[in-house]
Parts: sequence; C-alpha cells; structure tokens
Amino acid sequence: MFRKSMWGTVVGTAAAATLLLSACGDGGGESPNAGLLDGAELTAGSKEFTESIVLSQITSKALEDAGASIEDQTGISGSATVREALESDEVDFYWDYTGTGWVNILGHTTKDAPKDLFKAVSEADAKNGISWLDPAPFENTYRIAVKSDFAEKNGLETMSDAAKFIGANEDQGKVCAASEFINRDDGLPGLEQAYGFEFSDVVELDLNLIYPQVGEKCQFGEVFSTDARVKANDMKVLEDDKDFFVQYQGAMTLRQETLDEYPEIAKIMAPISEKLTDEVVMELNGRVDTEGEMPEDVAEEWLEDEGLIAS
Amino acid sequence: MSSSAAENRTPENSVDGGVVTQTPSASHRRTWMGYLTIPVILGLVCLGLFLYVQSRELDSIEQRSLNVGAITAALQEHVVLTAVSTIVTLIIAVPLGILLTRPLTRRIRPFIIGVLTILQAVPTIAILVLLAVAFLFLGFQAAIVGLVLYAIIPVLLNTMVGLEQVDGNVLEAGRGMGLSRMQVLRRLELPLAVPVILAGVRTALVINVGTATLVTYINAGGLGDIIVAGLSTNRVLVQIVGAALTAVLALLIDYIAGIAEDFLRPKGL
Repeated sequence: MFRKSMWGTVVGTAAAATLLLSACGDGGGESPNAGLLDGAELTAGSKEFTESIVLSQITSKALEDAGASIEDQTGISGSATVREALESDEVDFYWDYTGTGWVNILGHTTKDAPKDLFKAVSEADAKNGISWLDPAPFENTYRIAVKSDFAEKNGLETMSDAAKFIGANEDQGKVCAASEFINRDDGLPGLEQAYGFEFSDVVELDLNLIYPQVGEKCQFGEVFSTDARVKANDMKVLEDDKDFFVQYQGAMTLRQETLDEYPEIAKIMAPISEKLTDEVVMELNGRVDTEGEMPEDVAEEWLEDEGLIAS
Repeated sequence: MSSSAAENRTPENSVDGGVVTQTPSASHRRTWMGYLTIPVILGLVCLGLFLYVQSRELDSIEQRSLNVGAITAALQEHVVLTAVSTIVTLIIAVPLGILLTRPLTRRIRPFIIGVLTILQAVPTIAILVLLAVAFLFLGFQAAIVGLVLYAIIPVLLNTMVGLEQVDGNVLEAGRGMGLSRMQVLRRLELPLAVPVILAGVRTALVINVGTATLVTYINAGGLGDIIVAGLSTNRVLVQIVGAALTAVLALLIDYIAGIAEDFLRPKGL
C-alpha cells in the first residue's frame, strides 16, 4: 500500500517535471551545439595572466556545452612553457597572440613584421602541426601609459609627445617595464629607436608590479592595451602615433590533429571569437582583476548572457 | 640533525632542528693541488660556455643579454647583493646567537627562534612582492631585506649550537683561572664554536647566491636579469648562460668560504 503510493508520487513528480521542462525548453535554450562534441575529452591550457585564463575558460565552457569533457590545466607559467605543453599533448588548446607567435614561437625578430601578421604566423606554424583558428577582433598589444594627471599637466597624448617631453625633462623619464618587453625587439629597444629617444632609466619589475609603481618609482610604464588595471589605476595610454608596435591579435591555437578529429571546434568557436572585441575582453579582465570574480564564472556568465551557450 | 662536531656531547639545553651540517673536509690544510681543483673545473665550465656562445649565431634578443657588458654588470650586481646580504646577516645573526645562548635570555629564546623560523618559512619572492606592493619598496635595499630574512636562521642556529657544544668543563676551567665571562666568551667559546658557525655562514652564502636571482623582479638586477630574459623570450641559450653562471658563482663562493674556514679554524681542532 505504502509502496504503491510512493511509486505513484515518484512517477507523478517525474511526469510533472518533464512537462514543466519541455514547456520552458524554448525559453531557456537547448544549446545549438548540443551533442556536436559528444565523447571528446580535451585538456584546456593557458598562460598565467588573467586574460589568457579567461579566454581558455570561455573556450572550455563552449566546448562543454557541445558535449565535450574538459580537464582544466589553465594558468601555466610562461608563453614558452604552455606552447611546449601544447606540442607534447599535455594540453589540447590555448589562446596565443600573433605577435608572440611571430617573435617567440617562430623565432623572428620584428624589424619587419609582415602587414598581415595572422596569415604569416598561421601559415608558418602549420608546418609545426599547430593550427590557429580565425582570430578574434581584440588586440592585446604593448602600450606605454602614464598617470592621467601627469599626462594632462604635461600635454602628453602620443608617444611622440612623450619622446619630446623626455628629451627636455631628463629627470622625469623613467619607465617601469618587465623583462620580456625590455628584451624584445618589438618592445623597448625598437620603441626607443622608432621614436628617436631614450628613457632616462629602466626600472625592471614583475609585470604585475608595474601598475602600482607608475607615478611612484617611474613616470612611464609598459602596459597591455586590454588590461583593466589601466583604468582602475587612473592611467592614460599614450597613442602609438608612428604605428611602431606589431599586432597582437588573439587566436585559439590547437594541434592540427585535434582539429582534424573534431572539426566542429572551429564552427563552435567562430561566433564566440567574433564577439571578443577590445571592450569586451577588457571588461572581462576587469571583472577578474579588479572585482575579484573567478575566471570560470566570468566566462560562463558572459557566454550565457550572449546566448552562446545553453543557460 | 646534530651539529657537525658530532663527537662532542651536546648539553641538555641545546637547540635542536634546523642545524646545518657539512661533511668535514678530510684534512684542514689541503695541498696546493687540492686548492686548485675546483677553480680549474669552474674555469673550464666558463671557458666552455664562452666558446659555445661564441660559436653560435646570436639573434638580436640573445645579443642583448649575452654580451660582455651585460654579463659583467649582472655578475657584479649579483656578487654585491650576495656579499652585502651575507655581511648584514652576520652582523645580525652572530651577536643574536651569542645573546640567545646566555643564561639571561633563556626565557625568550623559544619565542625569538619561533618568530624567525616562521619568517623563514615565507618564500623570499613573497617577501619581495609584499615589500613592493604594500610599501612600494623596491630595488637594492628591498632585495637585501628579503635575502637577509631568509639567511638569518641557518647562521643563528649554527651560532647557538656551536656555542652550546663547547665542553662545559673547559669553560669552568677558564673561569677557575680567573677569566671574566666576556674573556671566556672571546677566548674560549667563540674560537671553539668557529667551525660550526662557519658552516652556517657557508650555507647562508650559497642560499643567498641562489635566492638573489629572484630580485630581478624588483629592479635589483643580478644574474636573475639574464635568466628571466631568457625565460620570457624563450631563448634557451640565454637561460643556460644565466643559470650556469649562477651555479658557478655559488660553487666559487662556497669554495672561498671553505678556504676561509681552513684558516679561521683554531689550530689543533
């Protein structure tokens, strides 16, 4: 008697739930990609900085939405290390930048980077068995920034202004920069050459220590154009009026064999990449860097809000 | 772990744990051939490195780090960092070690050692970053603070153990001959403790050579500049040169400290 009634309840509840679910099915979204990647097991990699982690989390959530199971290996230290991990099957994908591909991976120096950097890099890297999916519109390039009030006081808008200013004010020409920027041709040495000036002193710091130090130990600082901390620390980014810096467009990279096995990945990622503009990426970075949210939550929320995955 | 003068019985109130021991060298005065071995090996390593770098076509990024000017500057900064941090460590740790072995300070001894041990447990890089972020404190002085905090413990503990393993009968004999407490300390305790104290100093030196590679992140230069430049631009040759030079410097400094030990050790020990 009791048994029967319990079963009745269970069946009834289940039936009701099914009805309810199918009723809201249209509103809450069957994923358009459901089942495309059923059975795929992939490992996500990324570099150690916020943006790289967020991009990999976005990718992970989108592929999971299509049925893949993803192991999280994001936050690997150093561009070279994560690239090594991709080549040796430790991870299956991560986001890299065209400029980094040109200089660090392909070993070129950027005295004469080609106009279409993405084409050059993706074609050259294909020989290494690595595929670059179509790039997102955002660009995370090097820039020099100063405190807003310092810029206003001295009328600094562009790098040419800065070069003139430093020429006239030796005592206010210190730059805070990280090792990579100091040593790359597409960084400090080339910049000084292109604008025909020299910073009076270089303060070598860890990347994350630069932001609080601009306006303290140095007047100028190396920043990334999509870093939300530029705004948070009230800095002004100087315009690269001579177009010295090469492009650093972000694109997802994976082994060609992985792409051959799951060609759907490119199809799933294309509409997502398209939406990653400078503003969007900067906003997502800021939610992690200045508001302290977790990268995976930020990624998931954004994808849902944009209607790119089932909510 | 026990003190390197293991044969001596340690009194009940000795400090245990964290004492640096070293295998005592076979003879106190080596032959001059024995003195030459290590410098020759290290010299050969440097020569090999130099010839290898010379034989390679360097691109512009490699040239920036692997030229005589850059390497000399980095080496010089590194030696200065190591030397200054070790001297400051000695100035703090040896007197503190002497103080903490006097009967007066028996009460606060565990407390002081506890605090210093906790400080040593914090990674140096964390201390450097904390100084940089919280106090906007950068450069050479901040680097010295970070290095000293890390190296104090081995020198302090070895000083204490070195003093405590001195045979109580010897001290009593000294007092009996009419020496004051200060004289006993100067003429008997310290000379007899020298071997163990120096083992701690050697350790501090070698630790500092390695740790000093981290101060590149706070604008204090050193060989870390070269290593990090190699890492961040994926130039293996640059990484190898920076790391090998650090290793050579550590071994060389340890070797020099070993010679100093030979000469500073009281005769007959």
